[in-house]
Amino acid sequence: MQSEIRRKLLAAFSEADGGYVSGQKISELLGCSRTAVWKHIEELRKEGFVLEAVRRKGYRIVKTPEKITANEIQLGLQTDFIGQNIVYYDTVDSTQKIAHELSQKGAEEGTLVVADEQTGGRGRMARVWYSPKGTGIWMSIILRPNIPLQKTPQLTLLTAVALVEGIEEATGLSPTIKWPNDILINGKKAVGILTELEAEADQVHSVIIGIGINVNQQIDEFPEAIRNTATSIAIEKGEKIHRALIIQKFLERFEKWYTTYLEHGFKPIKLLWESYSISLNKTIHARTLSGTVVGKALGINEEGALLIETSEGKIEKVYSADIDIK
Amino acid sequence: MLNFKEIKEIIKLIDDSSIDEFTYESEGAKVQLKKTAARANQHVVYNNASEIQALPKQPAAESLEQPKKEVHLPKEESEQKTENLHKITSPMVGTFYAAPNPDADPYVTIGSKVKENTVVCIVEAMKLFNEIEAEVKGEIVDILVENGQLVEYGQPLFLVKPE
Repeated sequence: MQSEIRRKLLAAFSEADGGYVSGQKISELLGCSRTAVWKHIEELRKEGFVLEAVRRKGYRIVKTPEKITANEIQLGLQTDFIGQNIVYYDTVDSTQKIAHELSQKGAEEGTLVVADEQTGGRGRMARVWYSPKGTGIWMSIILRPNIPLQKTPQLTLLTAVALVEGIEEATGLSPTIKWPNDILINGKKAVGILTELEAEADQVHSVIIGIGINVNQQIDEFPEAIRNTATSIAIEKGEKIHRALIIQKFLERFEKWYTTYLEHGFKPIKLLWESYSISLNKTIHARTLSGTVVGKALGINEEGALLIETSEGKIEKVYSADIDIK
Repeated sequence: MLNFKEIKEIIKLIDDSSIDEFTYESEGAKVQLKKTAARANQHVVYNNASEIQALPKQPAAESLEQPKKEVHLPKEESEQKTENLHKITSPMVGTFYAAPNPDADPYVTIGSKVKENTVVCIVEAMKLFNEIEAEVKGEIVDILVENGQLVEYGQPLFLVKPE
């Protein structure tokens, strides 16, 4: 966990937005001596930050390390509660498991669990989610929404909208959504989302959203079996991207749409989701455990279920499926 | 007259709509649904004595004493036997999974002993996974749905004989 002093120090640099913060100001903010300020700055340097010190002006952060600890994520983060509490691990079995444990201990809404490497990342149907060290974003967010339980699946579509916009803002790429919440870049999957609910009967305790983003992998770093269907942001962009920037932009978009959703419901989210969807008006195959539905994807309903018009003109509602776009 | 499942579906539709009040009349019986508070709170009221008298095995005296009463739906023959059993119902619309993944054993089978916090299945929608707990201590005596089946909000999934 990050110390309160470190949090305040980074907040001061965030506010300066790349500009100088005087030693005097830092010592006032942290309530410590000028010598202690110097010590805190040295600690940041040891962690890979490049800081410039200029007499009479103060300190300025020139470069942040390509890491995703709370330091890098919170430096410049413009949110009120999403990602204000960050729990970072170098390596972890699954951020989702940690998030469940923290949630049961009463972790606050918006808590973010993030890891540099996952050894047991997983997707739908217990499929393995490949999450190697230092190249991706493996994270889980804890939410405590005051909404009826049956509406919680809408949050997975909301997450997809925030990811599309966050990635777009950070990279200039234009991702699309494949129902319900796979994020594709140039038709290949770059992000997967899996959400779990903690509830008792009808009462929602927490919603835990697990997100895996392929950021800086090269194509030969993917297992062969998924090379034709998976991609990373670096592959599509042609250059490596700071992971912390993507996390920040996502958290900001997420907070915006989550707050909107709690106030105004699913309608605005539905419109955005449909505008980013890749499958609308296309013929799709929806493979479910009880068979495959083939037809034209019309959109989503108020719950977030996919509406498919079959060749007989019948409209099927799909809640769970693997989608192939033809 | 509407059956229990149909009334539940109507409640859900109204819940998701801007309708504040709903009345349905058929064969002299009436169902009235009203949202009272801002947070859609429905009351289901059967306010017709003749309908209550028409219910099977309903003592006449009781119906006379309580001409207005909260949901009291006709019991079918098969439900008579299951009166003392606890129903585990689905809290959302979604796909029912009997096991954590396609290769795993089911969470429970008929005869399994469960505790309040035993996970009995998963219901999934839009890749949101909800592990359903038994909520009572007892024994699973029936599984009412198939693996992979779409289940409705409120649909019974398991019958548990409480200990």
